[in-house]
Amino acid sequence: MMKHTGNESRTFSIVRNLTLPVLLIVLWHLWALALPTGSPAPTPIKVVQTLGEMLGKGDLVSATVQSLGRVLTGFSVASMLGIVLGLMMGSSQAVRENLDPIIESFRPIAPMAILPIAILLLGTGTPTALAIVAYASFFPVVVNTVHGVSRVDRKLVLAARTMGVSRFAILTRVVLPGALPSILLGTRLAMGVAWTAIIAAELAVGAKSGGGGSGGIGQMMFVFYAYNIDLNAIVVCMTVVGLVALCIDHIFKMLEKRLTPWRQEI
Amino acid sequence: MPNDPNRDVFRAYRPVWVSLRSFACFFLLWWLLYLWNGNPLQLPSPVKVFEALWGLLREGEIAEHASVSTLRMLTALCLAIAVAVPLGFVMGLSRQAQQFIEPLVEILRPISGIAWLPLALFIFGVGDTLPVFIMFYVGFFPIVLNTMAGVKQTDPRLLAAARTMGVGPLPLLFYVLVPSALPTIMVGIRLAFAGSWAAIVAAELIGAPSGLGFAIEWYRQLLMTPKVFAFILAIGVVGYLCDLGLRALQKRLTPWAEGVGVA
Repeated sequence: MMKHTGNESRTFSIVRNLTLPVLLIVLWHLWALALPTGSPAPTPIKVVQTLGEMLGKGDLVSATVQSLGRVLTGFSVASMLGIVLGLMMGSSQAVRENLDPIIESFRPIAPMAILPIAILLLGTGTPTALAIVAYASFFPVVVNTVHGVSRVDRKLVLAARTMGVSRFAILTRVVLPGALPSILLGTRLAMGVAWTAIIAAELAVGAKSGGGGSGGIGQMMFVFYAYNIDLNAIVVCMTVVGLVALCIDHIFKMLEKRLTPWRQEI
Repeated sequence: MPNDPNRDVFRAYRPVWVSLRSFACFFLLWWLLYLWNGNPLQLPSPVKVFEALWGLLREGEIAEHASVSTLRMLTALCLAIAVAVPLGFVMGLSRQAQQFIEPLVEILRPISGIAWLPLALFIFGVGDTLPVFIMFYVGFFPIVLNTMAGVKQTDPRLLAAARTMGVGPLPLLFYVLVPSALPTIMVGIRLAFAGSWAAIVAAELIGAPSGLGFAIEWYRQLLMTPKVFAFILAIGVVGYLCDLGLRALQKRLTPWAEGVGVA
């Protein structure tokens, strides 16, 4: 047996990590070589070329920024509402009893299912996209906030109350920090769902309004699908969607570490 | 009066009563909004929606679309389980296999199933395959990651004990690893269901000639708004019932499980 030094096994594991993705790309390339000329099928080389062109034109960046802006707006509104409502539901039984049935019965209704209603009420523009994003991100935030509040140490609340701390101060100084890890988890989940929902909403709005001017990266994908058929560009958009999702997830994980360093792994 | 029997009855049904009250408030609010909006094409009154729901139920239209969607969902979920669970076991058992496969999983996972729609439309066209593919894709990741985590969480002492007693590799798999990983796998399956049920609407809305998502969009284009609302209700109810079923299955299969799971 050969003795692996630490360095060597590290190289091995990097090689192993890269094997499958590289292999797939090579296979894709070989498959693309066998295609007849003029086929619309995406190939690795053309995808990279298209990426370069789209970056050069700047429409990819502007569409992504537009989608991200919508996600952030809708998400902020929904998470504010979700956190406030969740804190209220978590700390008052009366509020929880009354709101829980309604929230639980809306939860299984997917954001995409209310899209037709949103289109009817708000048209095919930005308001619809915002409504879908807000709806999608509201539930993870509110549910996790309630859960977080329920796990706050009862003794801390009682201690604060014994010392004559006001209700509002208890909420902001005891309950909120106690529930923060769970709330942050909720917002991270919500942001992931919101990003998925915006793509779906923009895609479907594009599909159903005949490419109406709603913009965003989902709409862009739809235009590449239906009007100027360009599969390479669709693959580029998919990659961007994935990268953005990855970045969002990392930023929120970093925030979690920063804001709640005392938290244990959930 | 603490021993008043009426009071006890009231207390026992209190949750039901409170829910009814909240729903009554909700419908009142809806009705007021309907009056204020004044356009039944945009926002129909709750009464009209329930009439439409009743009509669709009686004509069997809801059952028809719901069974199509549920069948697609089950196909996709079974496929995802068939592929993801063995893969998860391999990844959980062998560090090398994990190093081979995990990067690909982590590269693909952030690309949401819905982002595959345009490309999948080209590959599969409009039909049954497209929604099944999207749901398979969405369901695959939670199951594979949870299976891997479940296998890895297996108490090493149990494995060592079984090995000491001369248990062979197959019994080890079926009597030690599977029972230990099953609770986490079931959580993964429920997550997969939740994700794919959300995705089915999008997939059917755009790329299928039948199913609940299709019906919603179809009636929207016909501007039969009460029916749109009725189908949305149906989606919620079917999703809720499926989750109840999965939860019952989870209790049945893994009565020893407590709240566990990742992702």
